[in-house]
This record gives sequence, structure tokens and C-alpha cells, in this order.
Amino acid sequence: MGADYDPTATGPVPKTRVPLKLEEVAIAAGMAGIALITFANVVARYLTDVSLAFTEEYSVVLMVVVAILGTSLALAGGRHIRIGYFVDERSAPTRKTMELIAMGLTIICFGAIAIYGAQLTWDEYRFEVLSPGLGEPQWIYTGTLPLLSLVVIARAIGRAIRIWRGEAA
Amino acid sequence: MIGTILFLAFIVMLLAAVPIAVALGVAGIIAVVLAGQSMLSVPTNVYTGIAKYPLIAIPMFVLVGSVFDRTGVALRLVRFATAIVGAGRGALATVSVLVAMVIGGISGSGPATSAAVGQVVTRSMIADGYPRSFIAATVGAAAATDILIPPSIAFIIYAVLVPGVSVPAIFAAGMFPGILAGFAIMVPILIISWFKNFGGQSRGTVDSPGVWEAFKDAFWGLMAPVVILGGMRIGAFTPTEAAVMAVAYGLFIGFFVYRTLTMRDVYEMLVEAGELSAVILIVVALASVFAWSTSTLGIVQPIASWIVGLGLGEFGTIALLMIVLIFVGMFLDGVSIFLILLPVLIPIANSYHWDLTWFGVILTMKIAIGQFTPPLAVNLMVSCRIAQVPMESTIPWVFWMIIAMFGALAAVVYWPGIALWLPRMLGY
Repeated sequence: MGADYDPTATGPVPKTRVPLKLEEVAIAAGMAGIALITFANVVARYLTDVSLAFTEEYSVVLMVVVAILGTSLALAGGRHIRIGYFVDERSAPTRKTMELIAMGLTIICFGAIAIYGAQLTWDEYRFEVLSPGLGEPQWIYTGTLPLLSLVVIARAIGRAIRIWRGEAA
Repeated sequence: MIGTILFLAFIVMLLAAVPIAVALGVAGIIAVVLAGQSMLSVPTNVYTGIAKYPLIAIPMFVLVGSVFDRTGVALRLVRFATAIVGAGRGALATVSVLVAMVIGGISGSGPATSAAVGQVVTRSMIADGYPRSFIAATVGAAAATDILIPPSIAFIIYAVLVPGVSVPAIFAAGMFPGILAGFAIMVPILIISWFKNFGGQSRGTVDSPGVWEAFKDAFWGLMAPVVILGGMRIGAFTPTEAAVMAVAYGLFIGFFVYRTLTMRDVYEMLVEAGELSAVILIVVALASVFAWSTSTLGIVQPIASWIVGLGLGEFGTIALLMIVLIFVGMFLDGVSIFLILLPVLIPIANSYHWDLTWFGVILTMKIAIGQFTPPLAVNLMVSCRIAQVPMESTIPWVFWMIIAMFGALAAVVYWPGIALWLPRMLGY
């Protein structure tokens, strides 16, 4: 793999106005939730006759939540998978410009997800779409996507400001 | 036309160091706009791209990697392997390959393995008389076997994307090719060490307990791959459940056997594993928008037919794909490659009636080679940072390891049984 997540690239923890602890706690809870649901599923299958297979649906939603909030956390620290080879050796102003462009594109990308995701959620609410597994209202699940995209956008704006002020490389 | 814009926009953003996920998403959105498709397809594809049950195996296997990383299993494995192999020329280098392979049986990510092994072996290898550049090359190449030896995130993605291929089947199919690749890179490592007189210069600096003592200490770590693979084999667990069982097992070892873990560690590894999984999953999510655009634009089938129409024959086509994939593999990670290229590659495989499980294994082997091919390889980037050498310095060593892994790849292409024997045996 050329580009991939680099676990040893620990840059300085960015000084954010809104503490990153928010995402961290939610991510830890989400991960623990998935693990516990799966564990309970196995235990229930072998020790009782109760099947908890329906809980898969909750695990999937928790994974979506972890994925978007983790994206936000990695974004604040600049740890997303990228090809830095052609940019990292350039002059500081060039790097700053490139980083700002990258943040702009991130905002556009998650902006589209937030706006049209909200529309999708509204449609599902209006038409009372039910989830295939448990028959819960689907809009509650889908709604996590636009809602949490706003968190990603906020972090992208925060990082862009820090880059602009020259606080983050 | 729109297809060209889609790919050009993607490549420009990629080279400009835009996060790969965002580059895929924005290119996909541009194509959706230009083709006049409904914008609702963007959030729909993002959501359905990741809201899939088999993908839950990814965060859980990443968590397994974090748990075992913190329990200090790697160090104990190195002690045990050193106790067996001794400390002659090339011995410690061989140990680091073996340990990378066992860690590969616990974790699912190449750079993470590179970091885990590099942090443990680099200092003792320097003391034992290996040049730093050779250490970095060895660790980077050894860690590339990780995505072949199950569990492997690349395999999970492949199985999710390709109908008819199950996660347990491709996990089993990767086993022997992964081991073969590991032994293949040991060949140049041993030959170079022998002729250049690397290693064996510091008898005693690596604290060497007796073999039995070291075995008892490493035993719990060695059992982890058995728990993961055995649990899936007997049909007791789905891959995700096997991962969660391995997490429980790792926490048990960490708290009660090695006593290396605290509650603080548990919290930190949940966050760490969550973020790493998110970085992978967001690529999957946004690549789904990209892949949806390429398929609705109808640019996938013509490319596939064109390649088949070149009339290169089976081996010619595989050779062509090999070159393309290793080149692309130098730039992109395995997950993105699968998401972008599988829609083209699978029709090609089908037209030759190739076994899709075997095809997944050889594609992953190519990506593994790309993982330690300079100058962009992240495995090497990690091992070079730990050994504190520039990546260029590894080229004279890593070149031979690339050739060796090519040999292993050629063997799996020529004898598909190397990959397919085990899943058949196990009845997948």
C-alpha cells in the first residue's frame, strides 16, 4: 500500500476549542457497545435458546457512528490516509495552501452528505420507512449520517482556522 | 467524458495530498452532478456502503490488534523465537519475519504490524550487528505478509464486495500463500546476512531465558491465532464473533496473566481502534459513491471487455494485472484499490472462469508487494522511522525481498492449490 494509516505518525495533539474528548468518549462507547452486543450474542446462543441475532442492526448503526466520529477525530489531528509524497517536501506556504484546499474539499464532501442526507432522512420520515431487521423507523438510523457529518464539518473548519493561523502544519 | 473527468479529478486530488476518502467522495459527487443523477444517491451510497454486517469484523479485528499490541505479546514472541533460533548470522532477522507472521495472525493491518515488530526488534538487531537500513527493509517486508495471513482487513473488504466469496473461505485461502511469502523473503534475508556477515555479534545482549521459560511466556500469545481461526473453523463463531472472542481473550491475558493492562489502557485502545477503523471505513463509504458513479456511467464494462479483448491469454492477462496492481499499489491502500478496481477486475476474472477466492488471494499478494515498494510504501515508512533511516537507503535490500515475494506470487498463480487446498479441506 502506498498510502495507509500510519500508527506511528503521532503529531502534536491539536489544541481545539471544543475538546476532542467528546468524540473520544463517544467512539470508545460505540466500540465497547459493538463488542458487548456481539459478546452477548455468542453467550446467549450457547447458554440459552434466546437468539439475539436481531441486535445486528444496532451494531451496524453503532459502527456508522464510530466511523463518522472517528473520521472527525482523525481529521482534527490530520491523520487521514493521504499521499503526502508530492506535497510534504514543498515550501511552507505551498503546504498551507494545499492543506486549506484539502479542508475546503472535505467541507464540500461532508456538506453534500449533510444536506442530501437530511433530505433522505426527511423522505424516510415522511414515508414512514421501517428498518428491514427490527422494523424500527429507518430515519432514526439514517439521520445519524447528516447529523454527525456536521461534526466533521465543524472539525474541518476548526483545522482550517488553525492552519490559517499557522498553528497546525 | 464524464468518466474521464471523474478519474482525472480523483488523481489530481490524490497527488495533491487530499485525504483519499475525500478525493473519492468529491470525484464521485462531481460525476453525479455532471451526469444529472439524483444527489440523494450520495448519502444513500455512503450509508449503505458501510452499514453492512460483515464489515463489523473490521473494527473488531482492529481492536484485537490494539489489545495484543498493549499486552506486550510481540516482545514475548521475539524472546521465544530467539530462544529457539539462537543468535547466529541472520538469526534475529529471521526471528523478526517469523514474529511478523504470528502477529499477522492476530492483527489485520500491515503498518500496525510493522510498528509492533519494528519497536521490539530494532534495538536488539542494531546491537547484533545489522545495519539500520537492512532492519527497516526486513521489518517492512515481513509486515507485508500480514494482509495475507488471516485475519486481514483487505480480505474482509474483498469478501464483502465479491458475491460468492465468504470471509472464512478467503481467510483460509490466504494462510499458505502468506506463510509461503514469509519464507520466500527469508531466503534473501539469510543469503544477504550470510555473505555480508550481519547478526550474531552480540551474544547475550538479547536477554535469553531458557526455551521452556520463553515458551511458557509466549504461549498465551501463540494461542491467539488459534482462538481466532479455530473458532471460525469449527463454525462456533462468525468472523466478527471470533474477533470479539479474541478481544476477550486478549483482555484476560493482559489483566490476569501478563498483568500489563489497566482500565486506562482499555479506554485508550477503544479510542485508538475506533479511529483507525473509521479511517478505513470512511474510505469504504466514500469509495461507494465513486464506485456507484463509475458503474452507472457505464465505463466499467468497456474497460473489462477491452482488456479481455487484448488476447493476451490467461497468463498474459494476469501478468498485465500484476504490473498495473503493483503500480497502483505503490500509491493506494488495499481497501481503496479493491473498491475502485474490483468492478473492472471481477468481470475479467469471470470471463476466464478463474476461481474468485484464488483471484482475491493473488490480488492481495500484489498489493502486499506494493506495500513495501519504495518510495511511497507505508510499511517501510513506519519501519524506517523506527530505525531512523531514509527510505532510499533500504532499496538495495528491499529489492531482493520484492523479487522473492514475486517468486511466491508466481508460485500461487501457477499452482492455485497453494491457496485453494485449505479452504477445500475445511469444506468452505
